[in-house]
Amino acid sequence: MTTVRNLACLSVFLLAACGADPVPGPVEQIIVREPGAAPAAAVATVDTSADAPASALLAEGKAAFANCSACHSLEKGAPNGAGPNLFGIVGAAAAAVPGFSYSEALKGSGITWTASELDSFIADPAAKVPGTTMVAGAIADPTKRQAVIAYIESTTAN
Amino acid sequence: MIKLNVNGQTKEVDADPETPILWVVRENLKMPGTKFGCGIAQCGACTVHLDGRPIRSCSTPLSAAEGKSVTTIEGIAGEDGTLHKVQQAWIEAQVPQCGYCQSGQIMSATALLEKNPQPTDAQIDAAMAGNLCRCGMYGRIRAAIKAAAGIEQPATAEA
Amino acid sequence: MGKWSRRAFIGAGVAAGGALVVGVAVRQGNPIDKLAPLLTNGENEQLLNAWVKVDADNIVTAVIPHVEMGQGVYTALAQMLADEMDADWNKVQILEAPADKQYVSDSIGRDFLFPDLEVPALFEPTVSGGILELAQAMGLQFTGGSYSVRATGQRAMRTAGAAAREMLVAAAASEWQVPASEITTANSMISHAKTGKSEPFAKFALAAAKQSLPAKPTLKSPEDYKIMGQPKARHDIPAKVDGSAVFGIDADVPGMKYAAVKAAPVVGATVESMDATTAKAMPGVLQILNMGDFVAVVADGYWQAQQALNSIDAQYSKTEGDSLDQDAIFARYASYLDEAGEDGGDMQTEAGDAAKSFADAATKVEAEYKVPFLAHATMEPMNCTAWVRGGKCDIWSGHQAPVNARQAAADAAGLAFEDVTYHNAYLGGGFGRRSTSDYITMATRIAKATGYPVKMIWSREEDTAQDHYRPSATSRFRGGLDKDGKAVSWNNIHTHLFDPADAPTVPYYNIASHKIRKVDVPMHLRFGPWRSVDHSQHGFFIESFVDEMAEAAGKDGYTFRRELLAGSPRHLKVLETAAKMSGWGSALPEKHGRGIAFVPSFGSIVAQVAEVDMSGPKPKVTKVFVAADPGFVINSDGFTAQMESAIVYGLTAALYGDITLKDGAVQQSNFHDYPMLRIDEMPEVEVELINGDHERLGGGGEPGLPPIAPAVTNAIFAATGTRIRELPLSKHSFA
Repeated sequence: MTTVRNLACLSVFLLAACGADPVPGPVEQIIVREPGAAPAAAVATVDTSADAPASALLAEGKAAFANCSACHSLEKGAPNGAGPNLFGIVGAAAAAVPGFSYSEALKGSGITWTASELDSFIADPAAKVPGTTMVAGAIADPTKRQAVIAYIESTTAN
Repeated sequence: MIKLNVNGQTKEVDADPETPILWVVRENLKMPGTKFGCGIAQCGACTVHLDGRPIRSCSTPLSAAEGKSVTTIEGIAGEDGTLHKVQQAWIEAQVPQCGYCQSGQIMSATALLEKNPQPTDAQIDAAMAGNLCRCGMYGRIRAAIKAAAGIEQPATAEA
Repeated sequence: MGKWSRRAFIGAGVAAGGALVVGVAVRQGNPIDKLAPLLTNGENEQLLNAWVKVDADNIVTAVIPHVEMGQGVYTALAQMLADEMDADWNKVQILEAPADKQYVSDSIGRDFLFPDLEVPALFEPTVSGGILELAQAMGLQFTGGSYSVRATGQRAMRTAGAAAREMLVAAAASEWQVPASEITTANSMISHAKTGKSEPFAKFALAAAKQSLPAKPTLKSPEDYKIMGQPKARHDIPAKVDGSAVFGIDADVPGMKYAAVKAAPVVGATVESMDATTAKAMPGVLQILNMGDFVAVVADGYWQAQQALNSIDAQYSKTEGDSLDQDAIFARYASYLDEAGEDGGDMQTEAGDAAKSFADAATKVEAEYKVPFLAHATMEPMNCTAWVRGGKCDIWSGHQAPVNARQAAADAAGLAFEDVTYHNAYLGGGFGRRSTSDYITMATRIAKATGYPVKMIWSREEDTAQDHYRPSATSRFRGGLDKDGKAVSWNNIHTHLFDPADAPTVPYYNIASHKIRKVDVPMHLRFGPWRSVDHSQHGFFIESFVDEMAEAAGKDGYTFRRELLAGSPRHLKVLETAAKMSGWGSALPEKHGRGIAFVPSFGSIVAQVAEVDMSGPKPKVTKVFVAADPGFVINSDGFTAQMESAIVYGLTAALYGDITLKDGAVQQSNFHDYPMLRIDEMPEVEVELINGDHERLGGGGEPGLPPIAPAVTNAIFAATGTRIRELPLSKHSFA
């Protein structure tokens, strides 16, 4: 008979939901501002860590790369994600990172990733390499693209 | 302020230009028909058209749409409310289960048929493989695309 | 004539505007102590949860106490009610019941749906067995267990419709002064052929409510079904093709803010500290909270919240789970199984002397199988919008057990159940994940801390890392065959039993002796129901081992199972149908194979044959043939879609599903490392439906899943001679 068993099943959910201990409030609560309050004027945060970027361009590039990092890693030897690891990509041949499943389009593109090629690719990947599986992450702003490319290069320079 | 055309109307959006179009559409423009599924262009739930081309709006910044035209699921029906033939085919074939992925599926399918009115199975695969359906309605999606394209299909065994 | 459960009884009344309302009550009379206070407010209180309303404009409204998560339940249940009522299907509306315990008490409707409702005294209860699962499901408005049609639909919706019809007929008979037996109903009209009278239902609504209530409404027999059994189009589909369907994640509350969250990756760990320096300065950020078990950032927009959250460096406490990985977990299962030996563990079911019959068997077969943890990966990630203020709380979300969700919010907000309003939405996938209230609690806690409405959305990474997984398991078998290759001994010990308890049992197979035991192994990850629950593991284990026994007997999988089902014509018919559909026995190209699997679950009997092409570097499932007998199919298109759906869900898991741990935390994060089946890998699916018992319905949402993995692995064996005993297939090389 299914009855008793299903009771047991449902009682798991019931008991979990009822008669619970008081649920804890915040251990730490930082109120930055109230809703509707104007945001504070942007304060340049000083990055004092050991690998602080040496220039504003690289700092901008690092910040912009945050968006790319959803799919791409930059550290040497780090695994591929939704996109290939980009360590050493500047100057490398396209579609050559081991273990990544590239589109036929990129494999056949014959591109070498000079800064200028990277620039035109990141501006509009689908236009530069129709059929590429990089369907995300285009950067429209040329200054930002330069910064990202500079940042990528800087992390892999000796 | 960033100006763009959404579903035929000019919109001015006050948002960080880096904001993905997905969140601009859902939160700033209050059009929640376009869905969030993964955030890294792996599931297709966020598919919209940018100047007629299908893009993953979760990974395309607002700046990329400035001065351009975005079409969402809310905008593909006719102005008088007549459903797009793809939407009609979807209803005929009773495609959606939970329905969450279907805005993205329909946007990918309409773009496919716009570009290729008589797609082969391989072309359907290529155009639609980026759209996940956890309820598994791929068979019905394929059949509905073919029906919308007017492609004859073999009769299926009925219960 | 349908069986009428004697424990359910009917109430009726009149609502504002002269509408007739009929409800089916299920009285809680069974002494299950723990359940009682949760279902009712008192011993004699009735539960009313299937309602139908007939309005002055002749619209029939079916109130459905279940949630729509893609399984088509709104429509199927409404079909059952409308058919018994002889309602015009085109004039039927559907309403989802509110998540209200009051809704399930005899003052239902009074406060919520029908403010002017007067419910006269309800008549006598009647008693029967088998109604308890109905009470559970309905009283809790729980959607799951493939119950909605077979329990609520079969017992309550049909009764409500039939009762309403009989009362309308009685009212007409009284007014027209003709015998009720001469009155007919069709398409929401009542007619008396002899005198040529014909009126809409609505005309008699008020009078109907005054009729004495039928103790046993007559339910239709299948030959009279007009709406049940028809592939009626689903009511919710149009909104799902134009972007207007509202899911939990689409809630919109004025003044709403957004929260992104990250919980400690290892179960049991807490957030010891967080460095939010960068986050504090990021755009849109309002608050940053360390809630102990998770960090939350609240901002003007979700993306802003998530970006800021990503910049936070959190330090977590150490736990003993920190060293765990899945190899360690499987090693643990092995040691528990080893320790249980021949007689340890917990006996589940035993018949004959299985150990002796194994020792005496002419042929002995032994095998061990393993399956991994699996995530649910609903397309819509976990989310909940909550607002706690002034002693009240509002929750907007999609949840499979709305009453539970409401209680969870009350507990988290420190309020009473009555102070919480729960607004349910469509679910972008349930699969069991949304029957757990963790995300409801989380959002409510954030809302309580901030004081404004907060929409909490989990990133896909968070959704993958903080699931309540389908547990991994190991199962060991010893089977014995006699000299004729007949199964005589079945010995099984396994590491997992949650629900349904009959999942590891095989009562439908003729095996003279069996001994099935379990060992309880502590589970490191949080687990919860995953589509077909324990049938997902045990279906694979059992149907793989049956195939290995077949092989040892020198018989093919179909022939061997035919013998095992010889005493059960209904089961046998399903098996035969699948085999016939697939052309079982006919030639296939080289490196192609067919595999068969048979799993009865949730009251439905399902057999599947998978055709696999092994000529490439990885298995390609080209076709799946499904024969399914759910007793009676209410909506053939809907049921077929559920079979297709379950196959894809199960096939994705069989091919790719593998949640692995490293240092105690789940390694997978998004769809690039937890891959899914896509349209280019979709097999052709053919479904044939059998109505084997119209009085005992089986479920539709889950039964299509358990057979697919073993059908595929059995096909791989047929094609290559390679036996797969461990899922997923992606772990194996087929090059």
